[in-house]
Amino acid sequence: MSAPAPQAGFKARAAAAIADPTLKIAIDRTTGTAERKRAAAVAAFSEFEAARARGKAIKDHVIAHLDHYLETFERNATAAGAKVHWAASDAEACAIVVRICREADAKLVTRSKSMLGEEIGLPHALADAGIERAETDLAEHIIQLAGERPSHIVWPAMHRTREQVAELFAEGHHPPPTAFDPATMVQSARHELRTKFLSADVGISGANFLVADTGATCTVTNEGNAELTTTPPRVHIVTAGIEKLVPSTAHAFALLRLLVRSATGGELTQYTTFHCGPKRPGDADGPEEMHIVLVDNGRSRMLKDEFREMLRCIRCGACMNHCVVYRQIGGHAYGGVYPGPMGAVLTPVLAGLERSRDLPSACTMNGRCAEVCPVQIPLPTLLRAWRGRSWRERLEPSGLRYGIGLWAAVARRPRLYRFASGAGVRLLRRLGKGGWISRLPLAGGWTGSRDFPKPAGRTFMELYRAEQSGKGGPS
Amino acid sequence: MTPTGPTVGLFVTCLVDAIRPRIGFATLRLLEEAGCRVEVPPQQTCCGQPAFNSGDDADTAALARQVIAAFEPYDYVVLPSGSCAGTIRHGYPELLANDPDWGPRARALSAKTHEILSFLVDVLGHVPQGRRLEASATYHDSCSGLRELGISAQPRRLLADVEGLEMRPLEGNDVCCGFGGTFCVKYSDISGAIVDEKAEAIERTGADLLLAGDLGCLMNMAGKLKRRGSSVRCFHTVEVVAGCADGPAIGEET
Amino acid sequence: MSARDRILGAIRESLGSTPRDTAAIAAEAAALLADPDAIRPELAGPSLTESFAAKAWGLGTTLDTVADMAEVPAAVSRYLAQYGLGPGLAMQQAPELTGLDWSALAPHDTVAPDEPVALGLARHGIAESGSLVIHSAPDNPILLGFLPLHHILVLERRRMLPHLEDYAALLGREDGIPRNAILITGPSGTTDIEGSYVRGAHGPGFLHVILVGDEE
Repeated sequence: MSAPAPQAGFKARAAAAIADPTLKIAIDRTTGTAERKRAAAVAAFSEFEAARARGKAIKDHVIAHLDHYLETFERNATAAGAKVHWAASDAEACAIVVRICREADAKLVTRSKSMLGEEIGLPHALADAGIERAETDLAEHIIQLAGERPSHIVWPAMHRTREQVAELFAEGHHPPPTAFDPATMVQSARHELRTKFLSADVGISGANFLVADTGATCTVTNEGNAELTTTPPRVHIVTAGIEKLVPSTAHAFALLRLLVRSATGGELTQYTTFHCGPKRPGDADGPEEMHIVLVDNGRSRMLKDEFREMLRCIRCGACMNHCVVYRQIGGHAYGGVYPGPMGAVLTPVLAGLERSRDLPSACTMNGRCAEVCPVQIPLPTLLRAWRGRSWRERLEPSGLRYGIGLWAAVARRPRLYRFASGAGVRLLRRLGKGGWISRLPLAGGWTGSRDFPKPAGRTFMELYRAEQSGKGGPS
Repeated sequence: MTPTGPTVGLFVTCLVDAIRPRIGFATLRLLEEAGCRVEVPPQQTCCGQPAFNSGDDADTAALARQVIAAFEPYDYVVLPSGSCAGTIRHGYPELLANDPDWGPRARALSAKTHEILSFLVDVLGHVPQGRRLEASATYHDSCSGLRELGISAQPRRLLADVEGLEMRPLEGNDVCCGFGGTFCVKYSDISGAIVDEKAEAIERTGADLLLAGDLGCLMNMAGKLKRRGSSVRCFHTVEVVAGCADGPAIGEET
Repeated sequence: MSARDRILGAIRESLGSTPRDTAAIAAEAAALLADPDAIRPELAGPSLTESFAAKAWGLGTTLDTVADMAEVPAAVSRYLAQYGLGPGLAMQQAPELTGLDWSALAPHDTVAPDEPVALGLARHGIAESGSLVIHSAPDNPILLGFLPLHHILVLERRRMLPHLEDYAALLGREDGIPRNAILITGPSGTTDIEGSYVRGAHGPGFLHVILVGDEE
């Protein structure tokens, strides 16, 4: 696949991220706020758990009848005047978008944030085709200026502090901002992008929902950039994953209540917009053409295995905001398009397990992600499923395989285990000074950053047996 | 005291067995006090969690069968660990779901397996009386116990009855400490950074003691606190509830 | 084989080839919307208007109330004066608005890229969320709601709906499904720089509602 794949060296990227104190500040500011606001929004919505169960059921229903809903959507969108395209892979999807842009003789395209667009590598495909692209979401605008990829699915530029954004705007805006507080910088971006919005030939958006019974696509934004992206240009292209379907507008609303609260702690985004076909006769504005590219890219494959549950994901980002690993290393360390727990499940689907084996492993299995997931995806279970595959396919390092295998062989022989553990703790005690061991052979990872408590010297089983025989009876 | 209550198979867990037996004895004491007949099956080793979390399902299944065979004769299986209890409660039935013989046995064992403090409160309705400990303490909710078994109110309920013990809230009490079993060695940089933040939060409480319900998490946090030069002492919650927290804390064994 | 056939083929293979019963699917979909009160928040106030107002204020939307449509131009003037804005404004060419007495102001029918103020009609208000609904139409350019810095919407009280589902039920009943149906829930904003909230990211930084009609 041509989607950007994780580079080798997850651990090195993670270590570099941890060593960057500015990054940690930036991550804590955004995820900390998101966590607090979500908690308040959920507390204020006493029906949240019931809504969550219903949200899961809605997604499961659509997934179980995905072929039906895709055909229904295609029929209704076509009837509304949109042209529906199908792309089995990321490369096919990009080729379709580039072809439409060329047919429209596009010099400039505006794009409103879409993770699917990132997933299929659309920014690169447009660049390769020589088409100028203006990202219109403020965060996407920031990372376009920085030449970076998103580090979060809701706040793509959350890894950048305001000082770093100021540097980018000072160089990239004409004229540069007059001051570098967030409000002035946002105004500067507003002016900078206003001309792009109005002069673009094609506007590209994603979709949060595809509404089967109306044929409409739905975008949610807080900035209003989606409407400015999709209205003025002559051509509007939507790229959307096939799992985005919902039966009707009311089903979309049921999911929206969950999505927005989970993502930002709001109740609805400022703009919830349904796009149903191109400009109608007599309409005051709107695109002449609307194209919808339905992208599979591994999704139909997920339907038949345990990762099917991942197709429920509505891309709220709550799992990463509540993930202890994400909050230490940020999004870029994951190396894929999707970071955090949901990314650790999806990246192996998109890029192959061999190239992303670390992601499902680099998780403490604490379960907080599943606890906050608005559609009840059992993320730790899915991560463990990848670990199982990785083990069966012998992708895990041989040292670990050998170690676990040896340990398990001993643990399956209680008498040998008892002997080995007794001898082991006494050996360990020799390494200790006072109550602690500060350097452990074979587990330097532990003692690199923390001490290890010295074992008591006799195991529970030894002590218990001695106590029992002291009482005069066998245990 | 002649036991009148149920027969309990005590699974001390491999970490408690090797590192801190006194947690096992504290558990034993609480169960006997509550009137249980307690047995410690000698076939016990480890629940298999390290293999389970590494994706090694075959070895996990072998250990699961060993645990099931050793513990199924008892009325209950009790462990001083939410994460090991969680593996038996959820991991075994999931792993052996399609096994016609072991599947039902895994489910039967799952149904009678409990973490010690929730067992005392939820099953036996037993709250030890007359405990006294002059100290301030803060409590970390270990993740598996909290999210897989719903252990949250029970330890707090039991600690509330310890005279002289002042409980202080811990910021991020339900946030993972970064232990994660093999994770802490495989991804030690990340784990170290997570537990560093946890240690800071613990120190901010100003409490004398840190209490938690899983020895793995406790070793991780205690080891980080020690490395930071902190004076916070760490005990398993059962040690306090059993009135056994007058001895050395974790890392104070001589 | 076309990509369409490949994708649908792969899906059907994964799902297993059970015969499709469209009526059963529709019934299942409808059942997922049953008992809506169980999955939506209660209204924030004792009446639709009070609930709407509570939510709108919370979002930074400002609110004015007038007894009837004839009082709208005066309400607009009050708003413009409050912000020191001139008499010019881009106005939706809906008969409900154009028929009013605008002699004190200078409305026009186009919207400039840097338009300071625009005035339009909200099709509905939604009490649950403090949202306003607009539809694209020959007399209603979408850019009217996005280019200006100040967006004023006139909402007749009788157009207020309790919940999002009530709007979904009306959608398409009145004049078919519009090309664009937009729920506006507060002024444009962003939290993309360090999570700090800034208003007026691309769309209007100010959203003002003139609520028309007496409480029933």
